[in-house]
Amino acid sequence: MSGPGSGGAYSFSLTTFSPSGKLVQIEHALAAVAGGTTSLGIKATNGIVLATEKKAPSLLLDTTALEKVAPICPNIGFVYSGMGPDFRILVAKARKIAQAYWKVYGEYPPTKVLVQEVAGVVQKATQSGGVRPYGISLLIAGWDSHRGQSLWQIDPSGSYWAWKASAIGKNMVNGKTFLEKRYNDDLSLEDAIHTALLTLKEGFEGQMTEQTIELGVVTVPTAEQMQEKPGERLPPTFRKLTESEVRDYLSL
Amino acid sequence: MECSFGITGKDYVLIAADTSAGRSIVRMKSDENKIKTLGPHLAMAYGGEPGDTNNFAEYIERNLRLYHIRNHFPLLPPSASAWIRRTLAESIRSRKPYAVNLLLGGYDTTTDLPHLYWIDYLGTKAIVPYAAHGMGVYVSLSTMDKWWYEGMDKREGIEVLKKCVDEVEKRLTVALKFNCILIDKNGIHKIDLSEQDPIAKVEASPEETAVEAPNPPIEVGA
Amino acid sequence: MELNGGSVVAMIGKDCVAIASDLRLGNQSVGVASNFEKVFPVNDKLYYGIPGLASDVYTLREHLRFRVNMYRMKEEREITPKTFTHLVSSTLYEKRFGPFFVEPVVAGIPSPTPLDPHPRPFISTMDTIGCITTPKDFAVAGTAADKLYGVAEGLWEPDLEPEDLFETISQTLLNAVDRDALSGWGVVVHLITADKVVTRTLRARMD
Repeated sequence: MSGPGSGGAYSFSLTTFSPSGKLVQIEHALAAVAGGTTSLGIKATNGIVLATEKKAPSLLLDTTALEKVAPICPNIGFVYSGMGPDFRILVAKARKIAQAYWKVYGEYPPTKVLVQEVAGVVQKATQSGGVRPYGISLLIAGWDSHRGQSLWQIDPSGSYWAWKASAIGKNMVNGKTFLEKRYNDDLSLEDAIHTALLTLKEGFEGQMTEQTIELGVVTVPTAEQMQEKPGERLPPTFRKLTESEVRDYLSL
Repeated sequence: MECSFGITGKDYVLIAADTSAGRSIVRMKSDENKIKTLGPHLAMAYGGEPGDTNNFAEYIERNLRLYHIRNHFPLLPPSASAWIRRTLAESIRSRKPYAVNLLLGGYDTTTDLPHLYWIDYLGTKAIVPYAAHGMGVYVSLSTMDKWWYEGMDKREGIEVLKKCVDEVEKRLTVALKFNCILIDKNGIHKIDLSEQDPIAKVEASPEETAVEAPNPPIEVGA
Repeated sequence: MELNGGSVVAMIGKDCVAIASDLRLGNQSVGVASNFEKVFPVNDKLYYGIPGLASDVYTLREHLRFRVNMYRMKEEREITPKTFTHLVSSTLYEKRFGPFFVEPVVAGIPSPTPLDPHPRPFISTMDTIGCITTPKDFAVAGTAADKLYGVAEGLWEPDLEPEDLFETISQTLLNAVDRDALSGWGVVVHLITADKVVTRTLRARMD
């Protein structure tokens, strides 16, 4: 009798099977995702890039406060397409999961473990009473010593996949076709960032600037960087690119 | 002053427990049975805080019986010992812990091996060839150290047990009577330690010496 | 600790570690069993020992086995000595105000990874509520800890080869427990190298 979605004896799941075996609520959630701004991720040999288009609904909006690429822990970052408020809830939960993991094991979770935990949270919203599914798809990029860099996607149903490259949101179909043509297995991170920008450019409405684009990257650390030094923290393997870095990539 | 012993041999376990019950220096009962049969090949001698002892022993007995009914086979001695130990270990950190020590003896019919476990109220478990609980510890363990050896037959086991009882009689200030059972592949048997050769009786009429043990393969359905 | 007695020691060598325990289980001054091991494997490169209250030795061991098995299934990999140390530590701290009466010692060799192809052998110890220490030489715990410190301090030297490390840890434990009334009754030693673990039960004074 606690937690979200416990409404006592009168609680029931909004996500119920249709006679044909579909969960229509999830399909509606996917429609919400498909209406959201495009985001994409590309895995390279030495890292991963996450990219998204950041559209301000009004000229008067201070875009510096808008954040669509979110670091979860030093080795993992999220980007989304769909409903912003739902994203922020999941980011908060994912950060909590990562810190809880750190508290037990003294290190941050491997990407896959975090993905599974978050996917579990998303799945729960499809089966619990009184709640609706999350209206977002996530792209998750991370690095860990076990699997190296990996790129994942989570859908509103709670399903997840590992990708070499993927796009979600409004232009996902075109984006994926574009990525399929451009992708190869020995792409470097620099190449991947340019490919990401080119893909985003397809179907981009308006001007691509450092204010309308957000980039996050995973970089594979060297053995020397992973060497622990007393009193020092390991450098993060996921970071957001600053506006000036984004500007530099756009101008190339 | 309480006292119980357990001895393993080649293909059996002997368990003995004194029969007195009382408080402080007063004996109120001299025929208290402090050995409980827990299954066709499993039994324990228990002692400790009066009240806790019987309550806990019955709790164990009923649960092991329930397991037997549900699964159509009894819990084997190693698994039973683990479950009993865990029950005591959880109890010791509860608001009202059971103060019960026990010797668990059993015969594993799947491997044909005897088992003896020394378990105390803290949830400590030792897998031992011979053991004692209570005041008898201080006089009987050295006796068993001296006389026990690997692979004793039943009569030799009884002899060692009798030496322990004699030692208790000689060194402890109170006189104690002992209940004794023997567990082997045929089940649990009552042993009368006052007899010259109690094993002869077990061999001559196994039915007569058999201790009724919970053995509940219940027919399910018609 | 003083109820059941028992001691554990771990030592670092050159590309090897060793961990050893006595075999006594007592009830105060009375010896109850001489087959009570206090060192358990996590995997073939990682062992840990938990001297202390025997009831908690069992309970904690079962608890850790559960958590390591869950880790193995969730993460699809073996736990490293360092991560395992943190796991033990947080398990102990969970019971901060009603602790397990044990002082764990962890010893293992991490598996090589692309970023760390030559990992160094690892040992650590904790107090009853999980405060971690990671020594570079040796770790001791149990009722003979004070004696173990003395002997280990005298016998241990850096970069011992496996055979020498085995001899050093064996003599350290045997001689320390002889000076402790609550430890002894046999000794078991595990010698961990990159490719195998050698376990030997040693003859000791049985009085």
